[in-house]
Amino acid sequence: MGRDLIFTEKEAEFLRELVRQKVDFMIVGLSAAALQGAPVVTQDIDLWFKDLDQPGIRKALKKVGGSYIPSIALNPPMFEGDSVSLFDIVVHMHGVAEFDEEKKHSIKIPLGRIKVAVLALERIIRSKEATGRDKDKRVLPVLLDVLATVGKTGGKRVSPPSVVVKAEAAQRTRGPRARR
Amino acid sequence: MRLAVDKVKKLCAERGVSLAALLREAEVSRNAYYTLSRKPSVLPRSIRALASGLGVKPSTFLEERDSPSEDARLLIGQIDRIERFHRIHDRDNVRHTLLLLREKPIDRLRRALTRGQRPDIH
Repeated sequence: MGRDLIFTEKEAEFLRELVRQKVDFMIVGLSAAALQGAPVVTQDIDLWFKDLDQPGIRKALKKVGGSYIPSIALNPPMFEGDSVSLFDIVVHMHGVAEFDEEKKHSIKIPLGRIKVAVLALERIIRSKEATGRDKDKRVLPVLLDVLATVGKTGGKRVSPPSVVVKAEAAQRTRGPRARR
Repeated sequence: MRLAVDKVKKLCAERGVSLAALLREAEVSRNAYYTLSRKPSVLPRSIRALASGLGVKPSTFLEERDSPSEDARLLIGQIDRIERFHRIHDRDNVRHTLLLLREKPIDRLRRALTRGQRPDIH
């Protein structure tokens, strides 16, 4: 039964190794939104690395039996191997600041015994707005509702990121968001 | 009331996590877990004394904090409060988020991935 489940020990082990190897990365995209309570659907876990040349990435891959396929022609870099098939490499995020700046506002979320940096919900929304793809536009109302919810409840298991709290305070000043 | 170790193991298997991983995540030491598993009762002595005084099992007067209907009422109240401050697009988004916030982050992620990769099972 365990084999049928998604995101089991093998995937967790890769993230643990990245943290152990002090690789500078964070989870972004809809996986990051899901971790913060968004009722969304996603097929993979997007990992945004500060620098793909960090030696810890190769070490973590070796530990879990995965490998790194560099960018070839128009194909983006990717990971290969059963233990890393759920992970996608992100080299650039639209609509947000550079990695270092975004990392400052990221939130740490526990995944088992480790804590992983996750792009804050407000920034995920900003990125989805910037890409302008249909699939991103479709998910925006959901993410905006989640931002309103997380801001109001504070989250039972996830502390509200400071940027969300600030966004909500600003929103109160501006008044309610227009219904789309 | 004893700790049903077999039930814990079964739940771990169903969720694809090892007991060791569960203990790590729950921040319960292995020693504490096995100490609990050996106890004839995990209930405080005072509860057992009350039950004994009444001549009943403790489960007779123990109950979950919220009944399902009370839980639903509280949830609707939370959604209403959020809607008062924000023009939300869909109350269902808020409801689902509130329910997901009760779960651990790793379980929220698993749900999102499962729905994305195995839509056939939903």
